[in-house]
This record gives sequence, C-alpha cells and structure tokens, in this order.
Amino acid sequence: MTPVRLSPLVFRRIHRWVGLILGIQFLLWAVSGAMMATLDMDKVGGHGDVMHHSHSLPEGGYAGLAALPRDVAVTGIVLRDLGFRPVYELHSKDGVRLIDATTGERVEVDEDLARTVAAMMHDAPIRTVTPMDNANLESRDFAGPMWRVDFADAENTSAYVSRETARFLVMRGDTWRTWDFFWMLHNMDYVNRTSFNHPLIIIAGFGALWMAGTGFYLLFKSFRRADFNWLRRRRRADARQT
Amino acid sequence: MAIRWPLLVRRTHKWLALLVGVQAVLWTLTGLYMVVVHIDIIHGDHMIRPVDARPYDLSRLVEPSTVAASVPGASEVRLQRLLDQPVWRVDGPDGPRLFDAATGATLPPPSEVQIGEAAQRLYAGDGRIVSVRLLTAAPQEMQARKPPFWQVEFEGWSRPTLYFSPATGEMVGRRHALWRVFDFAWMLHIMDYDERSNVNNPLLRAATWSAFAMAVMGAWLLVWSFPRRKRKKA
Repeated sequence: MTPVRLSPLVFRRIHRWVGLILGIQFLLWAVSGAMMATLDMDKVGGHGDVMHHSHSLPEGGYAGLAALPRDVAVTGIVLRDLGFRPVYELHSKDGVRLIDATTGERVEVDEDLARTVAAMMHDAPIRTVTPMDNANLESRDFAGPMWRVDFADAENTSAYVSRETARFLVMRGDTWRTWDFFWMLHNMDYVNRTSFNHPLIIIAGFGALWMAGTGFYLLFKSFRRADFNWLRRRRRADARQT
Repeated sequence: MAIRWPLLVRRTHKWLALLVGVQAVLWTLTGLYMVVVHIDIIHGDHMIRPVDARPYDLSRLVEPSTVAASVPGASEVRLQRLLDQPVWRVDGPDGPRLFDAATGATLPPPSEVQIGEAAQRLYAGDGRIVSVRLLTAAPQEMQARKPPFWQVEFEGWSRPTLYFSPATGEMVGRRHALWRVFDFAWMLHIMDYDERSNVNNPLLRAATWSAFAMAVMGAWLLVWSFPRRKRKKA
C-alpha cells in the first residue's frame, strides 16, 4: 500500500468532493447573505427597537383597585391608556386580563379595538382583520392569541395586535417577508426559521469551514509569479512613458 | 477565436477568491462559532435565577392613578418590586420613576448597596461581586443603549457582568466572555467594524456579491471538472 502523501493534489480532491456536497448550501449562504445585505434594514423593520405608541393617562375618573376582580392571585398590575380609555392589565399565572379603569368592567379585545390600535401605528386603509389563536411565522416572536390586521398598501403591511392586552406587537411587510425567506435559507431552519443552533447547520458549518480553509490554502498553490506578470508589465510600461 | 470558458471561469474564480478569500474564511469561522454555541447561552440565560411571580396584596397598595397624577404626562404605571418592596414604576416624558406602592411616596434612585444586593440575588453563579460602578458613558458591550447604568461585575473567568437601570434598579443587560466573543464574531461576519450593527454597509454588499459570483463559478467548475463516464467509442 502506498502511503497517502499530503500533496496539493489530495487537498484539491477533498476540496472538490466536499464542495460537491456542500456546494449548493455554500451558494445559498452566499446569495442569502448578499440579499440580506442588500435589503434595506429600515424597510425590513421589526428588529430590535420596538415601535411604541404611548398615550398620557387622563387625570381623573378612575375606578380604584378595589374594583378589580378578586378571584385570582394578582402577580402584576399595569395601568395604561389605549388612546381613548385607561385600562388595567391584570396579570396572574393564568394570563392577562384587561379591565376598563373607569368602570372596572372587563374589556374584550374585539375586532374594532384591534382596528383602532393598528390604525394608530400605520396610516393606510385596512383591508382585513383576522383573529388568530396562536402566533404564525410572521409573529413568531410573540405568544398568545392575537389579531392580524392587513393594510391595503404597496408593502402589504400586516400589524399584529395582542388579543389579551390590546398592545401592538409587530409590523410585517413584503420587504420583511423577502428578508425572512433568505434568513431561512441562511439559518437552515426550514420549519420554524428561528433556530441557528441545530445539528444540520453545525455539520454544514464544519464542512463549509473545511471548504473555505482548503480553498484558501489552494490559493497559494494556484497563483504563480506569472499570474501577476500583467501587473509588472503595466508598471514597466508606465515607467517607460514617464 | 472561440472563448475557452473553463479557463476563463477558473481564472475569474481564482482572482475573486484572492479578493474575498480571507473574508470567506472569516465568514465560515465566525458563522461556525455562532451556530455551535447556543444562543440562550450567549444571551446569558444561565446567569440569572428564575424569578417566581409572587402575588401582591392589593388592599395594601396606593392607587396607581394617584401616583400617576404626580408625574405630568405619565403614560404607564406598573407594579413591581425593588428587592422585596412593592413599588409603582411610573413612565413619564423624563423616563421612569419609582414610588413606594404602600405609601405613594417618591423613592430616591436605588443606592449602590441596593443595586449590589439586587445583583447578588439575581445572579445564578457562585462568584461574588468584584465591583459595582455607576457608568456615565456606555461601554462597547452595551451597544446602542443609553447610559447611565450600574455595572456589576462578578468574579469568574468569563467576567460575568450585569447592568442595571439607575432610575428603577431593573436589570437592563447581562454580558459574559462568550457573549463578547459572539459580538466580535458578529462584527467580523457583517464587516461593520464601528457600530457592529449596520448590515447594509457597502463593504459587506460588495463582499457578499463577490462571494456569490465566486460560488457560482465554483459550482460551474465543479460540474465541469468532475470526470464523466468515459464516452463509448463508436
């Protein structure tokens, strides 16, 4: 048996075979990375800084804490304003209830309220309003039941509003949807699009590192002095002209 | 003269590789780090004890509308705890302020001792506090967050650090060595060496599209250079 000699030829073969297996993913990483670099961050939106719309609380006319229901162990209270009426958010281990802070009555986050909240965030006619029991791919960063409010604009903007708290959650448009498709290609989590710590991408990452590493090594083997002749020739020509 | 495509593509692939080669190695190295170390560890979830949501006794609380009235333009009043004391946190135009939830009295900003105590209770590690400092300029690792904040550093190889809001004593950040490496890897990955946040910078755009061109040509070469089955001679 002849011992394997670690020649450039061996590396060239490994680079080529691993390249065949990982080539498609490498290409997808390159194109999705380039697309994410190209899509305007501000238009993609929905990242990091959360959009907020806060209203000043009215000065008087409140139903006091005594008006709140006593059937649950309260783990948190928030007093805020919906823009036209103050409300208490009553937190317990069972979830959140919204109580009218002027009457003490329960507030249902109905379609009208969802419309009102969404309209404060975006200035376009509303096309449809859909109730959802759980998050979809677009609102996956949030939990609980919510309303999806679709606007009739060029971006096909959708606003998501919590059905528990009436809080605006997130805004998604076509630029985000395009971005998210490429983000999926980039993180290889084709179902949930969120995780980038799964075995498939770790294995592919190792392979890609091997490919980039061997490719980089081969660079030094692929270039010869002669490859740079055109540079030297030009410099000589320049020198002659002056 | 006919163009010799394989030669042309191989040459262009080679020259593009020379151009983006170092960055391609950096992309895969940093990408591998980011996929191997789980994001929950990076975020420092393990540094913090889970907080059990203890119920409040509503009959002993001052009305939130009363404390809201003492802050002009208040938009939100929230019940929370500073150490064991129930407090109303009022959000106003000048930022949040705390009020004693039992008496309605304005509370002074948490002291250094209180911040240290809160940090020690929250911290899930074994190490003790090395330093508690009030920072007026944001260190790189607090990114775009506006100072001032309390910086509480714990002993340990990874320099575990918790950050707290001076106004409310709430934790606003947690950092450790693996986070810092991740942040550096992210900087190299997106090639924004100043802010570490602009994924639309021209350098990145040029580099990614060059890498894409290189990969396409590499793919083409791959198809070309794998030996086909020998053609049957007629």
